[in-house]
Amino acid sequence: MDVLINNGWLLLRGASLTLWMSAASIGIAATLGLAFALVQVFAAWPLRALVEVYLFVMRGVPLLVLLFGMYYALPYAGMDIDPATGGILVISLYFAAFMSEVFRGAILAVPRVQWDAGRALGMHGSALMTNVVLPQAVRTAGPPFINTCIMIVKGTSLVSIIGLWDLTQIGRQIVERTLAPFSVFGGVALIYFFICFALSLVGRHLERRFGYVH
Amino acid sequence: MIDVNLIERNLPLFFEGLKVTLLLSALAFACALLVGLVLVLARLAKVRLLPAAAAAFVELMRNTPVLVQMYFIFFGSAVMGWPLTGFTAGLIALAAQNGAYLCEIYRAGIGSVSRRQAEAGLALGMLQRQAFFIVVLPQALRKVIPPIANQGVMLIKDTALVSTLSVMELMYQARLIADRTAAVYEVFFTLALFYLAITSAFTLAMRVLEWRLRVAE
Amino acid sequence: MSIDPPAAGARPAIEIDGLSKWFGQHVVLDRVTTRIASGEAVVVIGPSGSGKTTLLRCINLLEEFQEGEIRINGAPIGYAVGPDGQRRRKPEREVAAMRAQLGMVFQSFNLFPHMSVLRNVCVAPIKIQGARRDEAEARAVELLDRVGLKDKVDAFPARLSGGQQQRVAIARALAMRPKAMLFDEATSALDPELVGEVLAVMHQLALDGMTMVVVTHEMQFAREVADRVVFMAEGRILEEGPPEALFEAPKSDRLQAFLKRTRAGYLP
Repeated sequence: MDVLINNGWLLLRGASLTLWMSAASIGIAATLGLAFALVQVFAAWPLRALVEVYLFVMRGVPLLVLLFGMYYALPYAGMDIDPATGGILVISLYFAAFMSEVFRGAILAVPRVQWDAGRALGMHGSALMTNVVLPQAVRTAGPPFINTCIMIVKGTSLVSIIGLWDLTQIGRQIVERTLAPFSVFGGVALIYFFICFALSLVGRHLERRFGYVH
Repeated sequence: MIDVNLIERNLPLFFEGLKVTLLLSALAFACALLVGLVLVLARLAKVRLLPAAAAAFVELMRNTPVLVQMYFIFFGSAVMGWPLTGFTAGLIALAAQNGAYLCEIYRAGIGSVSRRQAEAGLALGMLQRQAFFIVVLPQALRKVIPPIANQGVMLIKDTALVSTLSVMELMYQARLIADRTAAVYEVFFTLALFYLAITSAFTLAMRVLEWRLRVAE
Repeated sequence: MSIDPPAAGARPAIEIDGLSKWFGQHVVLDRVTTRIASGEAVVVIGPSGSGKTTLLRCINLLEEFQEGEIRINGAPIGYAVGPDGQRRRKPEREVAAMRAQLGMVFQSFNLFPHMSVLRNVCVAPIKIQGARRDEAEARAVELLDRVGLKDKVDAFPARLSGGQQQRVAIARALAMRPKAMLFDEATSALDPELVGEVLAVMHQLALDGMTMVVVTHEMQFAREVADRVVFMAEGRILEEGPPEALFEAPKSDRLQAFLKRTRAGYLP
């Protein structure tokens, strides 16, 4: 317990990087994911095929491999990018694939008759989407969206492996000095738990608030 | 620009790593399936505290990074004087985390089997336990093969994390080769292909399984 | 045939005494009392919400009830009164053993979709009665032949029509060699042209001397097959007797109105 208090400041610093990277990644991943989902549902086939290939790769390759690819390959290509920014970018691109699945599923879950009803009222294109489809899709997307957010928070722990000072990395450093893995990693896990559990409580609230009774 | 010869020369090392990755994936997946089943039985048990304890474990596992769990087990076991290998520590963490997710998947599947099915079993004279294992569970498992397959893919990808515990699986071998040859593009491209091949083969196998066990509807 | 003939002159197969069931203020069954003799086919009719399905489900304890007693071949089912005078549910094993003596056929068939037709029929004898697999299968084929589905042994339920599924469900119930059969609106979920094939199987079963309690809306079936018709409304038995008496000379206003409506072609 003392270990955690003595290193409270360090842990807080790690947690703030974890939170910042999570928030940024969630924002970018959600935006990209929504765009991919709309492409998958509406775009012409060449664009759709391109997105499909992208999603296939992202779903089949570990995040760690992509992070290392970035970490090794970018300097090689002469690109000088700060590792935190690079990390956010890779995490966003990786989880955008999962976000796209969330949004695509939600859009397709809006019953066909709702689309038809909108069309019967003379709506089409973006009017149909913004007035009829998306408001309903958002409700179904809530719980899986939160789940993906939790995966992103947990996923940021991987940046510790490429040397960023996030919560996990701070934990490892403290353990090297103090040789108290149980309390340190226990404490680190607890901080992650609070972040993620808070997210899942929000998710549950949304589900109750907006969930349809089937 | 891509040096095919270099990849070819190092293929044996990749295959060494592949063996470890496959072994860890298979063991962890089997354990996770079992852990998930035990957890869901505990969650549905009509014994006091057991469902709450199982639910707490599931929440704990699902809301903490598997990497931190691995460190906790690996470094923790070392201080305890019972050092586990990186492989074993990784196996335990992967089984626990994915077991927790599978528990929730099973639970959704069980909930989706109509109450009438269990009733039909009871009416034939089955005990609750028999109706669950003979009638409800087999139907639930068939329904949740697709989400189980997704979870399996996540597990396979997470095996790459044990490279940080010096387990000589695919990721670890690739990093060694990259450090030695500086052929960064070649190595990571090949590595990605290996993972794509494993996850695709696994997904395909699960599709076949789903097709063969499908409940004709 | 393979159905065990009821012992003639035995005491009533099913005795229901003062059966009451309620949810809070709402009374579902109100002091229902009746006897069903061995080999008797009893048809229960009545408007929806009259409690007839609940009565059937109480008989094999798929529903709890608060008062009264049901005896199968003289043995009270479901509840036992302890030395302290408290009424307690019997242990699960006893309840299950009792249920095994009663065959139940549901409105929604409830075949096990993940098992072949043959497996559906023989799984309970094998798993519950410990029957040998080859014997259970031989008997299952025999029963399926009896309901006219010998050629469907390897099919899966989803491939069958509703009428065929319901006939398999009857064979599945018969496989346990039940002492009585309970039919819960067995034809209500069927397309009209499939009703006949299921009723024919049930009719044959009655002719073979099976003790049957049939909840149905099929008045023609009640007339032709029932030894006795029971009319229920609002959780009570209002009238019972031979079909001719009930259908030709209904005493209560409720039954007269009910029969008028069914004759007029409205669903009761």
